Amino acid sequence: MPTRVAVTGAGIVSALGAGREATLTALRERRTGIAPVRYLKTSHTEFPVGEVKLSNEEMEHMLRIPEPQATTRTMLMGVAAVREALEQACVRRGSGLRVALISGTTVGGMDKSEQYYLDFLENDTKNAYIATHDCGACTEMIADYFGIFSRVQTISTACSSAANAIMLGAMLVEEGRADVVVAGGSECLTKFHLNGFNTLMILDRHLCRPFDAHRAGLNLGEGAAYLVLEAEDTLGRRGVEPLCRISGYANTCDAYHQTASSPGGEGAYLSMAKALEVAQLAPKDISYINAHGTGTENNDLSEGRAIQRLFCNGVPPVSSTKSFTGHATSAAGGVEAVISMLALQHSFIPANLNFATPMPELSFTPDAGSDRPAPLRHVLSNSFGFGGNDTSLIFSKV
Amino acid sequence: MSRTNDVYILAAKQISVQPPLTDEWMDAPVRYDAPCARAIDPDYRQHFAPNVARRLGKILKRAMLTSRQAMAASGVANPDAVVTATGLGCIENTELFLDALVREGEELLKPTCFMHSTHNAIGSLIAIDARCHGYNSTCVHKGISFECALDDAFAQLGSNRIQTALVGAHDEMTPSYFALLKRTGYLGHAPNGFSGEVALSMMLATTPGDSALCRLRGVELEYNPDAETLQKTLGRMLQSAQCSLEEVDAVMTGVSGLPSNDRVYASICPELLPNKKQLRYKHLFGESYTAPGLGVYAAAVCLCRQRIPAHLFVGGQSGEQRGVRHILCYNHFEGKNHSLILLSACGK
Repeated sequence: MPTRVAVTGAGIVSALGAGREATLTALRERRTGIAPVRYLKTSHTEFPVGEVKLSNEEMEHMLRIPEPQATTRTMLMGVAAVREALEQACVRRGSGLRVALISGTTVGGMDKSEQYYLDFLENDTKNAYIATHDCGACTEMIADYFGIFSRVQTISTACSSAANAIMLGAMLVEEGRADVVVAGGSECLTKFHLNGFNTLMILDRHLCRPFDAHRAGLNLGEGAAYLVLEAEDTLGRRGVEPLCRISGYANTCDAYHQTASSPGGEGAYLSMAKALEVAQLAPKDISYINAHGTGTENNDLSEGRAIQRLFCNGVPPVSSTKSFTGHATSAAGGVEAVISMLALQHSFIPANLNFATPMPELSFTPDAGSDRPAPLRHVLSNSFGFGGNDTSLIFSKV
Repeated sequence: MSRTNDVYILAAKQISVQPPLTDEWMDAPVRYDAPCARAIDPDYRQHFAPNVARRLGKILKRAMLTSRQAMAASGVANPDAVVTATGLGCIENTELFLDALVREGEELLKPTCFMHSTHNAIGSLIAIDARCHGYNSTCVHKGISFECALDDAFAQLGSNRIQTALVGAHDEMTPSYFALLKRTGYLGHAPNGFSGEVALSMMLATTPGDSALCRLRGVELEYNPDAETLQKTLGRMLQSAQCSLEEVDAVMTGVSGLPSNDRVYASICPELLPNKKQLRYKHLFGESYTAPGLGVYAAAVCLCRQRIPAHLFVGGQSGEQRGVRHILCYNHFEGKNHSLILLSACGK
C-alpha cells in the first residue's frame, strides 16, 4: 500500500483575487476576473487578460518586502500564495521538519528583463535584475522570504509546470524524501509571452469560450498557487486535518509538435488514463473534470476527443475555469488544483463561462454550473503544456 | 515506498568545449585560456536533414544528437522517461525574441523564436524525435538543475515506476548573455575559470545491459544546509548504498578557479570529506549551470575505464590512478545549493 498524500494547505493569487475566500466567492458568483489590460505595459490592449488586480508596489507593501530588495512580479505573487498555504497548514519556522519547495515557472523574472533589457546591455544600474531573471532565482527568492525550506527546486514545462511540480511533490512525500512539500507555480504576465502567444495567433479578442464551437483562442492570465502536501499517516503528529488527498497523477508526452496538440489527443488520453491507474480508479469514479480547456481551436478539440475516448458515454461534468482566471500558463496547474480542491470541499461544480454553441465534434458540452450542491468524490484536473507536455492530477475527498 | 531497484548509467554522450561525442578529453584534453568558449560542434549535416539542421538552434541540435547517440549506445530506443536539465533554457532564441520585442516593438514579431524559446522545447524535441510518450520533465534550477533531474530519474527508477530514463543537461551561452553574467560575477574571470557550454545525454536503467559505465548509488540535494545537516545527508546516502567514506576513492568537485566558488569547497571539504583526493572537471569543460552533469559524466567514464587521469586531480598528481571503485560527486552553487552523488564501478 503506497503512502497516501494529503493536502493540508492551499494558497492562491489570481485574477479572481488574493486568497481562497476571494476565489471561492468569485467562482460561486460566476464573476470572471478577465478584463481589459491594466497593469501590463503593452500596446496590445485589444486582448482581455486575467491580471492579478494588485500592482507590484501594493504586493510589496502587503508582504512587507524591505525597500532595497529587487523583486519580480512572479516572486511577489508566489510569496503571497505560499504564505497563505503555509498558514493554513500550520507549517512554521523551527518545526524541525524537512520542508521542500517545488515551484513551476517559465517566465521567471522576464517582466524585469524586458523592462530593463537595454540597461542590462549598456550599464550597471539594473544588474540586480540580471540575477533575478532565471526561473531558479524566482523560486529561491520565494524560499528565502520564509527561510524554512531545506530543498528548493524549479520545474519548467510551460503550461503544465505547476501540475508537474505538484506531481513531483506527491512522489517526494510518498517516498519519504521530504516531510512536507509546498508545490505549485507562479507566473506573471509579460509582454514576452503575450506577444509570443499573439504570433501563434491563439489569443481571443473577446472573453475566451472554452469548448464552444465558435471559440477563437485563449485569454492570458497570471497568478500563483501552491498546495502543502504531506503523508496522510503522519498528520496526527502535527495535529492538522487533511483538506483532500492527491490520489493519482501522471505526466505523459504527446510527442507530436512543439506548440500544437495531436488531433486525437493521444498525450491527453494517456495522462488521464495513467492518473486513473495510479489512483486505482475507473473513469466512472470521476465526479468532475477541471479541463485544461484553453479556448483554442486546437486544445479543446484534442482534449475533448481524449475525454470522449476515455469516458465514452459516461463523461462526467466538465468545465474550464480559465473562463474565470484566464490562462495563467505555468501557474495554471496550481490555480486549477486549488479550484479543484475548493470544488471538492464545498461540493460544487465551477461553471464554464461564455459557452453558447456545442462543438459538433464532441458528444458532451461543458457544465454551466448551478447553485445546487454537487457532492464530489474525485476531481480530475488537466494541465497541458507546449511540447505536448500533458499532466493529470486526481484530487479525492478524504 | 522503499528502494528496490539498482540504477545504472548505460551510456553518456556529450557535446561541449571538448571534442564532441568522444571521451578524448581523458588523454588529450583541449585547453582554454579565454574567458568564454563555445562548444565544438560536430558537422550536423552528417546527422540531420539540411532543413532540420537549419531550423533548429544550437542547443536543440546538440540535445537531439547527444540523445540519439545515448539511445543508440545503450540500445534503449524508447526510454520510459525523458528528464532534462537546463539552467537558462533556449537562451539564444529567447534573446532573439526579446531583442526584437524591445527594439522593434510589439507588431512585427515572428513565432519561430518564441516556439523554440521555452525551456522544455529541449525535452519535447527529444520526445518528438524518439516518439517517447512517457514522463517528460524539465528541471530549471540554476547550478543544480542537473542534479534535480538526476534525482527525479533516480527516484523513479529505484521505486520501479520506470525502467529506463534519458537524463540530459543542456545549456548554451551567447556572447550577450555571457556579458550579462559577467556583470553579476558568475562568469568570465579568466584566468580564474572560463564559461563553457554543455549538451550531455545520459541513459539510466534498472538493469546493466552489456556495457554499463557505472552504477548510480545515491543523489541528495540540500538547500542552505549547515555543516551538521550536510554530514548527516552524506551519512544517510553512504549508508543506503552500504558504502563507507573510506571506500570512496576520490571526490569530484566543481572547483573552477573562481575564488568565490572554490572558497566554499575549501571550507567544507576538509571537515565533510577528510583526506579525500579531490578531482575537478571545470578546468576542461568550463562553467555553466548544468556543468555538474559533465562532472558526473567524467566520473562515470573514469569508473568504466578503471583509471583517473592525472590532470583531473586538484593540485595535480604525477601519474594516473588505476583501479577505481567509488567516486563521490560534491557540487555547490553559490554556497546555497549543495548536491551529493555517489557512483560505483559496476560489480563493486
